Amino acid sequence: MKRVGVFICHCGSNISAVVDVNSVAEAAKKIPNVAYVTHYKYMCSDPGQEEIVKAVNEHNLNRVVVASCSPRLHEPTFQKTLQRAGLNPYLLEIANIREQCSWVHSKFKDLATAKAIALIRMMVAKAAENVPLLRPSVYIRKKALVIGGGIAGMQAALDIADAGYPVVLVERDNTIGGKMAMLDKTFPTLDCSA
Amino acid sequence: MVAASQHPNITLMTYSEVEEVGGYVGNFRVKIRQKAKSVNHDLCTGCGICWEKCPNTILNEYNQGLNLRKAIYIRFPQAVPNKPVIDRENCRQFQMDGKCGVCKEVCQAGAIDYEQQDLILEEEFGSIVVATGFDLFAWEKAYGEYGYGKYPDVISGLQFERMSNSSGPTEGKILRPSDGKEPQRVVFIKCVGSRDDAKGKSYCSKVCCMYTAKHAHQVLEKIEGSEVYVFYIDVRTPGKGYEEFYRHSLEEGALYIRGRVSNIIPKNSSLIVRGEDTLLGRQVEVEADLVVLATAMTPSYGSDAVARMIGIGTDKDGFFEEAHPKLRPVECHTAGVYLAGTCQGVKDIPDTVSQASGSAVKVCALFSVDERELDPLTSSVNESICSGCSTCVLVCPFKAIEIKTVTERFYGQTLQRQVAAVNEALCQGCGTCTAACRSGAINLKGFTNEQILAEVKAACL
Amino acid sequence: MSLEKTTAPKPAPAQPGNWEPKIIAFCCHWCAYTAADLAGLSRIQYPAAVRIIRVPCSGRANPQFILKAFQKGADGILVAG
Ligand SMILES: Cc1cc2nc3c(=O)[nH]c(=O)nc-3n(C[C@H](O)[C@H](O)[C@H](O)COP(=O)(O)OP(=O)(O)OC[C@H]3O[C@@H](n4cnc5c(N)ncnc54)[C@H](O)[C@@H]3O)c2cc1C
Repeated sequence: MKRVGVFICHCGSNISAVVDVNSVAEAAKKIPNVAYVTHYKYMCSDPGQEEIVKAVNEHNLNRVVVASCSPRLHEPTFQKTLQRAGLNPYLLEIANIREQCSWVHSKFKDLATAKAIALIRMMVAKAAENVPLLRPSVYIRKKALVIGGGIAGMQAALDIADAGYPVVLVERDNTIGGKMAMLDKTFPTLDCSA
Repeated sequence: MVAASQHPNITLMTYSEVEEVGGYVGNFRVKIRQKAKSVNHDLCTGCGICWEKCPNTILNEYNQGLNLRKAIYIRFPQAVPNKPVIDRENCRQFQMDGKCGVCKEVCQAGAIDYEQQDLILEEEFGSIVVATGFDLFAWEKAYGEYGYGKYPDVISGLQFERMSNSSGPTEGKILRPSDGKEPQRVVFIKCVGSRDDAKGKSYCSKVCCMYTAKHAHQVLEKIEGSEVYVFYIDVRTPGKGYEEFYRHSLEEGALYIRGRVSNIIPKNSSLIVRGEDTLLGRQVEVEADLVVLATAMTPSYGSDAVARMIGIGTDKDGFFEEAHPKLRPVECHTAGVYLAGTCQGVKDIPDTVSQASGSAVKVCALFSVDERELDPLTSSVNESICSGCSTCVLVCPFKAIEIKTVTERFYGQTLQRQVAAVNEALCQGCGTCTAACRSGAINLKGFTNEQILAEVKAACL
Repeated sequence: MSLEKTTAPKPAPAQPGNWEPKIIAFCCHWCAYTAADLAGLSRIQYPAAVRIIRVPCSGRANPQFILKAFQKGADGILVAG
């Protein structure tokens, strides 16, 4: 059985000043598969994340939707929270109710609140289809190839080599140096370029 | 340069090109062609007698055609490595069926080896830094008003650099290519090919304002009583100490004229530069001995092939595309491949060095672990319904899908069938294959058809 | 993907001036979705009728998603990437 927990973030007042989080929470409870709903001032903070861990265990949740800022910001944060709660990190979905809702509809609170509910409904529907995913891992061969022996290639090669890793620097011309070696003095210091 | 060649952890392969790149992050399989140098560098002492005696002369590309070089040559006296190669295309020994052999005769070390072959090296690498740099916009093809490169005393900034370089063709003297005389009046024209939608590139090449200020300073410093005129659209000097540097050239006497040059006309031994001073709103005419063009920076020739080989995106101008313009400026969409320097966009040396160090850190971070977890959001094939049509193979921008043969039992018979197989390490999870798959056999983990359809339906409620 | 029985949605109540279209936007995570976030960061205001669906690339937008959205009553669809 799918048991989705919905966690609504106020983001201080970034979300809650526009979106009526109480009525969003009430509406979210009625969405199919939703087993638990709560809201909190800062979901990404330590107490906020604890709230998620606790709720997952107490209410036997197996999917989580966080309604907060863009997933581009805190998706990795909340994925780790899920791991701590013993859930696969890919059972998380994020409803973007800040960048794509409260911030762009700030003059129309009713519409923003309705949209927040709609966005949560979409992410709950998606989350219900989520399955645990395993991260495959690959072996890393610790040797670097640098293509081009201008100042860029030389600097990169030197830094990597200084860190102790072997580097092959490939240059198509019969000398390294690139354009910089052609220059006389270089701005802004007018020192030589060899 | 010497530091890079002497570092115990760096293997330098000059006169070499990467021919093939396969594999994925942590495990790139690379084929490198070391072109035949025709000189055994283990024996060669770099004494220089060979290029002194070589009877073949060719226009010296490194010095931007300002002088000649031999068929056996080094680029400049401090070149690294400081040992010559034979340019076979321009060598009599190779072009005239062995009718020369001078270099072999004079070489005391016995280093000349006409039989040397190209070497193909195959190696595996964990990461690739691409630093293929830039070239200059071919103004000779676009700017008829500046003479299409027909006037010898209209030169590019790089030609100017080679002249003022003490290891260059004139040993540091600024001279007119036409008659070898020292110019008295030098005109600089900025934005040749840059910020010019009609004839060149729309972008600003960023370094030209500064190097023109440098060139102006060099003329005024090296040639007593000289005059410098700079035609410009805007003077852009964002950078530490840059504005001060530009001001200094003004104080030294460089005269800046705001406006484009409409044409250059040769008159006797000099050049008449006509343009508009847009600040004063009138036509100006300068009689110049030498004209230096600050030409646009473009991606280096052949970089499009490099992009295709490794799977790097390019922008509208052909520069390599970073994964994110602000947040991931040294990464590209292919994991384990990083960008450094002007191959990614126009840059001066300080910016180039910063980005190069940035990409080095990315490499070191990758190398700091023995295994790396990959994003699981990759495509996967339902082999039971895959028809093996290869449409996904064709549309995949990352070359991550192959066709493999599977053996199945079917009513007591053994059957072989072709199906698609995704390499999870190469797949970047774009999902283009899933949209192209007619049988719906390929799906993207994390963004499955079912997940997105559920979202669509909920969105339409 | 299963083709469901076509259930035409009830037409939106035709109240002149009150009608809101239903717009579904498939936005590439790397560009268009990021741009939508940037619009938020810049506090640019736009109508609330649009529902953004994040996809890893505009190439992920399967034609079936678009047909499904129309079937379910979407008035307009934007694929941005
Ligand atoms: C006239 C002029 C004056 C300048 N003056 C200054 C100055 O005073 N101060 C300043 O800060 N900047 C200056 N610059 C800018 C400076 O030259 C560049 O910022 C810098 O050289 C960029 O270095 P790079 O390594 O990215 O590229 P490059 O110097 O172009 O190096 C690229 C290297 O890669 C090699 N390569 C290319 N393709 C391949 C391939 N497929 N395989 C193998 N090797 C390959 C090339 O042969 C070359 O050696 C000036 C530029 C110009 C044009």
